Amino acid sequence: MDWNLLIGQATVNGLIVGLLYLLMAVGFTLVFGVMRMVNFAHGEFYMLGAFAAYFFTTKLALPFLAAVALSFVAAIVVGSLLEWFILKPFRKDELNGMIVTIGLALILQNVALMAFGPDPVSLPSIASGATTILGVTVANSRVYVVGFAVLVLLLLYAFLRHSRAGRGLRAVVEDSETAAIQGVRARLYYPLGFGIGVGLAAIGGALMAPLFSVSPFMGQTPLLKAFMVVILGGLGSIPGAALAGLCLGLLESYSTLFLSTSTADMLIFLLVMVGMLAFPRGLIGRGEA
Amino acid sequence: MTTQLTAGRPAPRTSSAWKLPHGRKLAVVGTAAAVLAAAWPWAAGQFVLHLAILSCINIVIVNGLSLIDRSGQLSFGHSAPVALGAYGSVLFSSMFGLGTITAAALSLLVGAVVAGLLGWVILRLRGVYFVLVTFAFAELVRLVLLDAVSITGGANGIAGIPPLSIGGFAFDSRERFYALALVLAIASVGFMVWLFDRPLGRAMTAVAANPALAESTGLSVLRMQIVAYIGGSVLASLGGVLTARYIGFISPESFATGASVAFITMLVIGGRKSLYGPMVGALVLTPLPEFFRGAVQTQHIFYGAALILILRFLPGGIAGIVAMAAARRAKP
Repeated sequence: MDWNLLIGQATVNGLIVGLLYLLMAVGFTLVFGVMRMVNFAHGEFYMLGAFAAYFFTTKLALPFLAAVALSFVAAIVVGSLLEWFILKPFRKDELNGMIVTIGLALILQNVALMAFGPDPVSLPSIASGATTILGVTVANSRVYVVGFAVLVLLLLYAFLRHSRAGRGLRAVVEDSETAAIQGVRARLYYPLGFGIGVGLAAIGGALMAPLFSVSPFMGQTPLLKAFMVVILGGLGSIPGAALAGLCLGLLESYSTLFLSTSTADMLIFLLVMVGMLAFPRGLIGRGEA
Repeated sequence: MTTQLTAGRPAPRTSSAWKLPHGRKLAVVGTAAAVLAAAWPWAAGQFVLHLAILSCINIVIVNGLSLIDRSGQLSFGHSAPVALGAYGSVLFSSMFGLGTITAAALSLLVGAVVAGLLGWVILRLRGVYFVLVTFAFAELVRLVLLDAVSITGGANGIAGIPPLSIGGFAFDSRERFYALALVLAIASVGFMVWLFDRPLGRAMTAVAANPALAESTGLSVLRMQIVAYIGGSVLASLGGVLTARYIGFISPESFATGASVAFITMLVIGGRKSLYGPMVGALVLTPLPEFFRGAVQTQHIFYGAALILILRFLPGGIAGIVAMAAARRAKP
């Protein structure tokens, strides 16, 4: 076996998985930053995003990009409404808020189970063929997914950096009281922040839908990974989540070259626990302790 | 008169009981009803007996979770000590040929040591960080159990676990096992009531209510929480031992995140503030799946909705309703 090829392939796979973790974790950490709420329903929005993409492409015969965009919009609307009607009394109430999102996750997952059934479905591949970049062959469908994910992140960056709403959101994440004093209408940013956070999870699900199969249980693993990423990156820190997401994806991908998957998983869990104890504010980013 | 005494600080028991004919009557009726309810499963057949045993086991486990919660930390990995107790008791007897009781005692000891060491490290974290790290630990335990196929049987689990037996008396029928589970469940509730009426329990409550103040009055927050964590984990391990010995089969999937969620649900719905909350939660929620037979999804949706509604409108849980009713009675 050619090591260069193996490592190149592992890098590409790691980047794809890392981008997925990144999308999940950035949304997760955004919700935590705005509401101080650990959102256990985050994985369910990933699952709903995937199902939405499946529905829009196969049932309504929309193009894939439009389906992803629609899933995102739908998730923002649903997320904002849920925040407004269910989560509102639990803002900044860390423990009870967390338990409420556990309840929300139970409801969403089982509603999906009743609506779509337990059997996984799959989307048609969005592109055929493969591209060879620097001697590493990658399926075109994966290249597209990576491209879309990067595009989404750039848009998110531009939104948070330069738009009025994005700046307001960051101000609320930073310090909601001071933001309110400065005239930022915090009560509008809670639903918006939650909506965008879960919208990112939905985009992650929609983008990954053509690569993996879609089932009501698919949200569990990405949620777990999002936990680990935000712990490594520091809860509430968006750059930390971005960097840690990519690192975790690459780390997982490389470790499977040398170790069995389960051993690698255990080592990563151990790493996360140790990292959390040694650096409670995050290994990479600087979250709030 | 009656009311002030019951509502205020507990008066010396003997005298108040004699002075309060009305309260005493209530107590007698309540005790009689509880005794009848506890004895009912023996007469009601195997199915009720089965549910009663599971409820008793859950009471023990959720009391453990409540003990940790009362010291100010919520564990989202309560399935881990349950799994350690279950696997420990089975593996000690199968690998070293120990008697079932010796193995169970040893597994509780191991559970306590593990909880002590782990708690000493992770209890420095607060709030959601503690929640996430216990969650990660429970996943780690599950992965290790899945991976160590040669010892734990991996995903297939361990089947054909022999029942508990003390000196030749085997708890091999549901009737016998229910007696054991009932005694342990009552003992665990009694232990909680006893503990939180003592200085140690009060210190735990103080640590949970205001860690900084507790620390400044000379209570070590970390030490209190470690004690609570060890106690809670041992109760959970005891529940694990009972589960393994009663069901006769264990696999890592029995101790997945869903189990931890179920324990938290029982605690919250029963009532986090009341000492009887865990008991109420376990008694209400354990038989509940039977009403949703063949409709697991409906059951989980109900769980989810109940969690949200209880937290929103009844933060004291079901046990809180009783407390509220008692407080209303207490008002002149």
